[in-house]
Amino acid sequence: MTELDFLPGFPPAFSQPALFGVLLLVGLAAGEAVRRYAALPRIIGYALAGVLLGPQATNLLSADVLIASRLLVDLSIGLIVFELGFRLDFGWLKRNRWLLVTAIAESLFCFGVIYGALVYFGFRPLLAAAAAAIGTATSPAVVLMVANDLRAEGQVTERMLLFTAVNSVFAYLALTLLMPFLHFDLASHWQTAVLHPLYLLAGSMLAGLAACLLILWLARWIGKREEAQFVLLVAIVVATVGVAHSLNLSVVLALVTLGMLARNLDSTHVLLPLRFGHGGQLFFVILFVLTGASLQFDALRTAAAVTAVFIAARFLGKAIALLAFGRLSGIRPGGAGLLSIALLPMSGLSVMMVQDTAFFYPAFGAELAAVMLSAIALLELAGPLATQFALRRAGEARPDG
Amino acid sequence: MDEMHFQSSAALSVGVEIELQLVRPRDFDLSREAADLLARLAKRRLPGAVKPEITESMIELNSSVHSDCAALAGELEAMRAAVVEEAGVLNLRVCGGGSHPFHVWTERRIFPNERFRNIVERYGYLAKQFTVFGQHIHVGCPSGDDAVYLTHMMTRYVPHFIALSAASPYYQGEDTSFQSSRLTAVSAFPLAGHMPFVRDWSEFLAYFETMKRPGIVASMKDFYWDIRPKPEYGTIEIRVCDTPLTVRRAALLAAYAQALADHYLAGRPRQPARETYLFNSFNRFEACRYGCRGSIVEPYSGVKANIGDDILETLAAIAPSGERLGCVEQLAELETGVRNGDSDAGWLRARFGERKSLADVVREACTRWEKGG
Repeated sequence: MTELDFLPGFPPAFSQPALFGVLLLVGLAAGEAVRRYAALPRIIGYALAGVLLGPQATNLLSADVLIASRLLVDLSIGLIVFELGFRLDFGWLKRNRWLLVTAIAESLFCFGVIYGALVYFGFRPLLAAAAAAIGTATSPAVVLMVANDLRAEGQVTERMLLFTAVNSVFAYLALTLLMPFLHFDLASHWQTAVLHPLYLLAGSMLAGLAACLLILWLARWIGKREEAQFVLLVAIVVATVGVAHSLNLSVVLALVTLGMLARNLDSTHVLLPLRFGHGGQLFFVILFVLTGASLQFDALRTAAAVTAVFIAARFLGKAIALLAFGRLSGIRPGGAGLLSIALLPMSGLSVMMVQDTAFFYPAFGAELAAVMLSAIALLELAGPLATQFALRRAGEARPDG
Repeated sequence: MDEMHFQSSAALSVGVEIELQLVRPRDFDLSREAADLLARLAKRRLPGAVKPEITESMIELNSSVHSDCAALAGELEAMRAAVVEEAGVLNLRVCGGGSHPFHVWTERRIFPNERFRNIVERYGYLAKQFTVFGQHIHVGCPSGDDAVYLTHMMTRYVPHFIALSAASPYYQGEDTSFQSSRLTAVSAFPLAGHMPFVRDWSEFLAYFETMKRPGIVASMKDFYWDIRPKPEYGTIEIRVCDTPLTVRRAALLAAYAQALADHYLAGRPRQPARETYLFNSFNRFEACRYGCRGSIVEPYSGVKANIGDDILETLAAIAPSGERLGCVEQLAELETGVRNGDSDAGWLRARFGERKSLADVVREACTRWEKGG
């Protein structure tokens, strides 16, 4: 026993809450700094803070911490895709059929062009298809955050969010439907090959449906009190994320389903309009810092060519579909081009899909990661800028936004 | 002085302008997408015209000139259907009503054109607070003298138009307790109020010159009066109505104005009285606050009456005009409404009572407008 025993050891072991606080603080500061001094979207600051704290730099957020924080990422993405789903109005797609056609074409063309390009450059079809599936998705978190940040409103903004919801679901479905082929590739039992995707799709959607019925029933009982409904929403979303997590279901699919159904099955309008407000911002910071920490730039040198092909093909696929069907779906001239730029971001959702694939099929996952992760890293940092540019150019951002 | 030359127009022709709310279905707050909607409507053949208004959350329907108010109703209905259809493509909802129940005025964006920018420059926050929605009724006059006469005579009926159209009980998220809260937003402007007590068009021109010389006004547009002569159209313009919740009601109000104008212009049964303006503010307040249940002081007799009863009496007195103009049916419908105590403001309050949410009130108002009739 010495007289200085009350002091902690050196260096002190940071507890989880301290680490979490640091994550938020550094993220917040970096976000404000890039905004103030470089007029960049805050997201870029959050992601840079993640890179700074992550294994690539200070390793404060080590690989172990990142794995442990997966639930937090799931929760953030869950809330965000729920909000996105909640904004998807089936009525609009019914009134404007060409919009539905455009949304589906946007996903299909994007998938097709990436797939074609990768196969052309000599990638195995299965690998090309998996990369194309993941590449179809636009980052829901980035587009929502940039739109909120700029307080953007208008046709380009609304359609960007709609197409993002559709292409995220498409990406997930496509990737899941590729599973049987992966299983055959790895010579697993045919039961696994068929039952696994079936379990994922049906299970996730059922979880979403059950949560939706519960939320509508409770909302009717609670009545139209904003504060009570807010707690209800958060509770159901968190619980659904937890259930999806424990049952090895898809958080994204379950929560998008929940959001879409809650909006569109609410025929008597018991739910109040959704407002996450400042609380929502917290999850954006968490998500982007953690995503930033898991970005990998190592492959950028070795895989520069693939990355370039992937990004170009992805943009091309989206642009072709939007330009072909834009006018028919009633967007103003010039809007389709801006939309294809706005839809560029990739982010946490894509990282998650790569990681999930790697979890079930480690060897294939490594190959996939080599193709994807550089592109994701680039588009995580450049994507927000593209979206910001498009929304400003469309005249839909607030001057002070 | 050309713009002040009174363009003679067919007596008793009518036309209306209706300001509409554009609403986003996500939360039923005001949208900002007027420009996109106007661009789509510009490509369609429409009987009247659709124009931008001061904020990006509103558009204005302008009917063409009609002598028959049934034809006016038909045209408004056709325009309504076209607007609703195009709005659907853009996922916008449309509704009537004099105010948006819960929008936040600081959030409004001004439609980007020269005139509106100047208004904001000049009036500051008043311009953004002015996001209220009214119906203007034009009645044709053969001469400037007729227009001055009719403006004076119609002023006595301003409370009627307020009470019959009242549809803005909610403002900035609160029940104002008024039937029409919209006119309060207009009153704040320095040139609001009413036309001075001039006797004929030449006196009016002299007054206009007096105001123009020191630069208080540049054109007639600068007067925000309840009723103003509009020399370039050859009309008087009644500007106190809230936009009703249906086009049908908008057409009924036009029919009422037309019949009143016929009653006075055909033989000038009365001469303008200064007393009209003594009681005007009181009468106007009563109509805004209580609608048809308010009081009105009759300027010629000085007797106080109930506004609803006063409307019923007036309807009886102008019945011959209604027959001459072929709008008996419309006047009868107005009468039934007054007898039953119906009002758009009451309807909106009833919706809130049922649903307990202002977003739902807007939703139901949209459904009502979009359904037509």
